[in-house]
Amino acid sequence: MIGFRLAAQKPPEVRRITDDVVMRFEHVYEVDPALMSEHVRQQDFPAWETQRIVDSRWEHLAWMHDHFADSVVSGEELLRELEAED
Amino acid sequence: MAVAALPDTLIGELVAICGEDHVFTGRSALYNRARVPSPFPVHRWDDHVPQAVVLPTSAEQISEVVKLANRHRVPVVPRAGGTGLTDGAVPQRHGIVVDVKLMNRILEIDVDDRTVTVQPGINMLKLSEELKPLGFIYPDNPASYPCSLVGGRIGTSGWSLIGSRFGHTRDLVISFELVLPTGEIVRVGDGGGRKIRKSSTGYQLKHLFMGHQGTLGIVTEATLELVKRPEAEFSAFFAFRDFTSAWRATAELARSGVATLAGVVLFDEWKLEYLRRDDEAYIPQPDWVKAVVAVAAYGLADEVRLGAKRLLRIGRDADGTYLGDEISQGDWASRHDRYATPLHGRTPGGQVVPMSWHCEDASILWSKLPEVRERWHAIAAGLRERFDLFDDWGLFAYTNAAFKPWGDYLTEIDIGIWEQRWDDESWAAWVDAKRELARVAIESGGSISACHGACREGEVDLVPLELGGAFEVMKQIKRTLDPNNVMNPGKYLLDGAYE
Repeated sequence: MIGFRLAAQKPPEVRRITDDVVMRFEHVYEVDPALMSEHVRQQDFPAWETQRIVDSRWEHLAWMHDHFADSVVSGEELLRELEAED
Repeated sequence: MAVAALPDTLIGELVAICGEDHVFTGRSALYNRARVPSPFPVHRWDDHVPQAVVLPTSAEQISEVVKLANRHRVPVVPRAGGTGLTDGAVPQRHGIVVDVKLMNRILEIDVDDRTVTVQPGINMLKLSEELKPLGFIYPDNPASYPCSLVGGRIGTSGWSLIGSRFGHTRDLVISFELVLPTGEIVRVGDGGGRKIRKSSTGYQLKHLFMGHQGTLGIVTEATLELVKRPEAEFSAFFAFRDFTSAWRATAELARSGVATLAGVVLFDEWKLEYLRRDDEAYIPQPDWVKAVVAVAAYGLADEVRLGAKRLLRIGRDADGTYLGDEISQGDWASRHDRYATPLHGRTPGGQVVPMSWHCEDASILWSKLPEVRERWHAIAAGLRERFDLFDDWGLFAYTNAAFKPWGDYLTEIDIGIWEQRWDDESWAAWVDAKRELARVAIESGGSISACHGACREGEVDLVPLELGGAFEVMKQIKRTLDPNNVMNPGKYLLDGAYE
């Protein structure tokens, strides 16, 4: 039987980013657990849960863009064009 | 506080009007309609609980409910999405809440004359989803886009993120039908004609019945603009080394003449400090980033690309650094939906606490933004020095005028509040602070509110100061249209109309 085991989904060790922030997955920031010790406690998250939340966020933003226009223009692309024109 | 009991027959009469399944007196139905997201005295929740809730399905039912309330002299409080930020939907005297959420149908789409007629309980996001296959959008776009409703937008005369391109609620609503405080059903527009945008017939009553925070009636139907869906969206976020440079760049961008420009936003140092602490998009930003300016544009693809290039040049020439597509596109998309963001704040010691997001808004002239910013942050600092339950989340300013992005700015200071900790002392301090924030806005030649309305405790005290003699006219209108003071009583100091 294959079941969910938290131990098999253990997130990577934290890396400190700033005085207040740590990181386990690339570009996924977390409040320093030491700052969540008096009034609000951090929860243990399996890796897939963090990934699901991050992916859902991007999906949500794409869905929101789609409410307002058919396409999104890239500023990076336009800046390259501007530099070529200059 | 003692609550006057409802007349014995009233619930039965409400059932006779709306039907048994549409009248509620249970605890959850009542308590959930006591508050809105604006700062609420949770320690005095009982003061604002209605005694009955009805969910009508027609204008005629609402009319009968209002007439019944007049006969019994019972307050009536209109409620749509309940997402307003100035307490319009909060019962001050208990009574009957008329919740319009079941009136959420699209009644007509007129492609030829470009209108869509809806009931007040429909939401803008859902409406635009229905319009998309036809190539249209309804571009009223508050930060509560997924959850606020058309009726509430009219009741508050809402502000739209992309209003500088497409107009705000008042510009996008052509005409609407409402139930007056005495129960008559009327339609108001620029003149007559449900779909007429410009008329010189009679008084301009559309504006009178917008933004009254439910004190002059209940909207039952609205005819709205049907706008061609944009082919393209462009958004760009620029980083600056100091506030003054960002402030000047904001004006350059806003005055650029780019026709597709929908809005310009300025974030100050306090906002950046907050975002760098708690927002994944800004945490990795280097220390030199002290202010940010954002722009957004919508329209035909070729027009947007052309305008976007101009905006990028202006931002670059003003020493702004483009922050990249990920922030520019992601952060902009998230601004349509700020109510879904779970929030936390910090005690002065840095510990995380659960806080609600509250923004205090005003209309401020561009030239006055630096001065107002300093004075507002000083007020927020005073609160934070005294109480752990407040956190200054910074200030932003947003182009405010419809169709012309210059002049005055919707200016907001975001203050995190740990609402579970309210008590009478901290609430009183908050009310004092709100009054002082409003005073700064007026003293700078601005207006107490650009977006939310100004009828909450504290700020409302200064409405007569801002309006001058016009406030007496406002009271006369209220007394004439609502002789029994049943329509959302206790708001905007309008009880003074009956003294």
